[in-house]
Amino acid sequence: MHKIFLIIKREYLTRVRKKTFIITTLLFPLLYIGLVFGTGFLADKTRANLNVAVIDSSGFFTKELLDKQNTLDNSSTLTLVKNNSSEKEFNYDSAGFDAYLVIPALDWQIGNSNIELRAKKSYGPGSTALIDAKLNRVWDEIKNDSLKIDSTKQQILLSSRLGIHFTNITDPKANAKFANSIGLACGFLIYFIILIYGSQVMMGVMEEKTNRIAEIIVSSVKPFQMMLGKIIGIALVALTQFLLWIAFVFIIYNITKVSGNGNSVNSLVGGVQQIFTSINLPMILFCFGFYFLAGFFFYSSIYGAVGSAVNEDVREAQSLSFPITMLIIISIVMMSAAVNDPTGPIAFWGSIIPFSSPIVMMARIPYGVPGTVPWWQLGLSMALLIGGFIFTTWFAGKIYRTGILMYGKKPSWKELIKWAFRKS
Amino acid sequence: MAILELHNLKKYFATQKAVDDISLSIEKGHIYGLLGPNGAGKTTLIRMITGIFFPDEGNIVLDGKKFDPMNDIIHLGYMPEERGLYKKMKIGEQALYLAQLKGLSKSDAMARIKEWFVKLEMQSWWNKKVEDLSKGMSQKLQFVITVLHEPKLIILDEPFSGLDPINSNLIKDEIYKLAQRGSTIIFSTHRMEQVEEICDNIALVNKGKKILDGSVKKIKQDFKENLFCIGMEHIPPSMNGEAPYEMLETKEEQSIIRIKEGQNPNDVLKYLIQQGALITSFNEILPTLNDIFIRLVEGTPSARQFHSN
Repeated sequence: MHKIFLIIKREYLTRVRKKTFIITTLLFPLLYIGLVFGTGFLADKTRANLNVAVIDSSGFFTKELLDKQNTLDNSSTLTLVKNNSSEKEFNYDSAGFDAYLVIPALDWQIGNSNIELRAKKSYGPGSTALIDAKLNRVWDEIKNDSLKIDSTKQQILLSSRLGIHFTNITDPKANAKFANSIGLACGFLIYFIILIYGSQVMMGVMEEKTNRIAEIIVSSVKPFQMMLGKIIGIALVALTQFLLWIAFVFIIYNITKVSGNGNSVNSLVGGVQQIFTSINLPMILFCFGFYFLAGFFFYSSIYGAVGSAVNEDVREAQSLSFPITMLIIISIVMMSAAVNDPTGPIAFWGSIIPFSSPIVMMARIPYGVPGTVPWWQLGLSMALLIGGFIFTTWFAGKIYRTGILMYGKKPSWKELIKWAFRKS
Repeated sequence: MAILELHNLKKYFATQKAVDDISLSIEKGHIYGLLGPNGAGKTTLIRMITGIFFPDEGNIVLDGKKFDPMNDIIHLGYMPEERGLYKKMKIGEQALYLAQLKGLSKSDAMARIKEWFVKLEMQSWWNKKVEDLSKGMSQKLQFVITVLHEPKLIILDEPFSGLDPINSNLIKDEIYKLAQRGSTIIFSTHRMEQVEEICDNIALVNKGKKILDGSVKKIKQDFKENLFCIGMEHIPPSMNGEAPYEMLETKEEQSIIRIKEGQNPNDVLKYLIQQGALITSFNEILPTLNDIFIRLVEGTPSARQFHSN
């Protein structure tokens, strides 16, 4: 026991002291925020503002109506040009337009009509959707006018809506809107942690094998202790990193609260705070801790076994660990289905079967326990996952013991399984 | 008293009989040479003694008791042929870590590391990393790590490879001192001249089987061919079958002879003196271990055969 503690300490300290640990700890949140805001920013930038000519044969569209919308919304400009719709080959580019709309004769009371937006090159859906929206606003106004609906009536039509708010009666705290995003966030975090730190276990084992220190260590401790020490040490590194991130959020929250400005960071953190108060936080934290650790043990022991079986060649390790990585990716795909339908069959089976349960179950739990996830399901899932990681560590330990001292050709998965079930 | 006894050890792998029924007995305080060509099964044998592998059959007795890898491991020091250390770890920390894994307390380990570092002039290395060391330097470090916890049984696999003569002698002296203080040393190698110099007893292993063991002196006696080197002036002219020896080679005033069956050196000297030879030197030529090794191993087909094909 004492020796395994020594191994854990070494694995932990050598990693936490590394510069890369400090850098990734600081950089990951920045990168994450950058990703979230960056994609929004880029999506905004990819929308081209078009100058569109409108060729109207219906007679509904007037210059005044179009100009009114142009002033309200400056994304794209609609300009009425003279009514020569028969002339399909409108020479729009020489007239300074990016595209042109051909509006045929329309009946405003019935049916949907397809309006052609024509141009020599293609524009993305982001750009055409805006034109579509603008054109329909003009169309609405035309219809309102024809029906004699004045602006007050319009206001009533638009503003008075019925909204459905879902309440889970067994767990009123399970707010579906937040549950969705928290479920996604938890699932993705576990996914990243398993992938990143799982491969760290693999690389660590490979390092010991190629440095040939493995033989010295196994003459002092059992190979299983050596493997377990490494996995626990690295799990603690992941946990440390995670706690540091939580601490960052907490510090930022407090700083912004003190400065008291209603700036964007404050509102962001305030939003986070609101989410935390509106969910069953202790339950989610407990389950996150459990699924994070159990899932990590489940996968990292197999990664460790792969690391013990290959030589210094990283490509060998990649090809051998591909099936495992595939399982994790399938889990994340199942999770994105489960987060939208937390009681469906994919969500159910995905959260029960050990290989995907760490990720899929975390997507369901924010929807409420025992409302969405009955206690028996949670219990079964946890029990199976514990059984699962005990099996994988046992299995991996067997492979590890043989692999760590074996040099030469890369074994296949079939051979690895043979190693595991061979008598010592 | 034997510190280590191996009884009929067997270890078969899927494709080969790595160790096939080997029995040995090693006395306390001896330096024991384990010889054999590459792939003879030495490493597998050592891995069973160090508890890394379990034997398929047979048993190991350490210090009078059945070998229990879990608890006895701290009495062993093993320096594998493939040296290994954490490249990025500082030398002091590394030695401390590995010593603690062997069961030493932190303060104990620290004191002993300092003592050994002084002894082998390594004090200034403490904060260096292994990747900054030369091959010889890391070899010395490896040796220190192996013997730091004063094991009863020290197993060294090719301990001198990569060392210059000065450091070789330094390590050799330390090996002698360890043996004098009661440690038993198993020394695995295929460098025969070192074995002759250092070892009291040897075992020769080939193709998973022990083909020879005993004291170096006795083995040489067993394998001697009654060869003598005689230095003489006035070499007697005719030999015509009467002489009690056969002349094998003559170079200047040195001759190599083989004494015939049933005769002894005195007969030879008597005969030569009668013949009027003036003898300047007379030495027995004992076979070197190298000769014995080659004689025994050669002629057997390639050292390691896979019995699946």
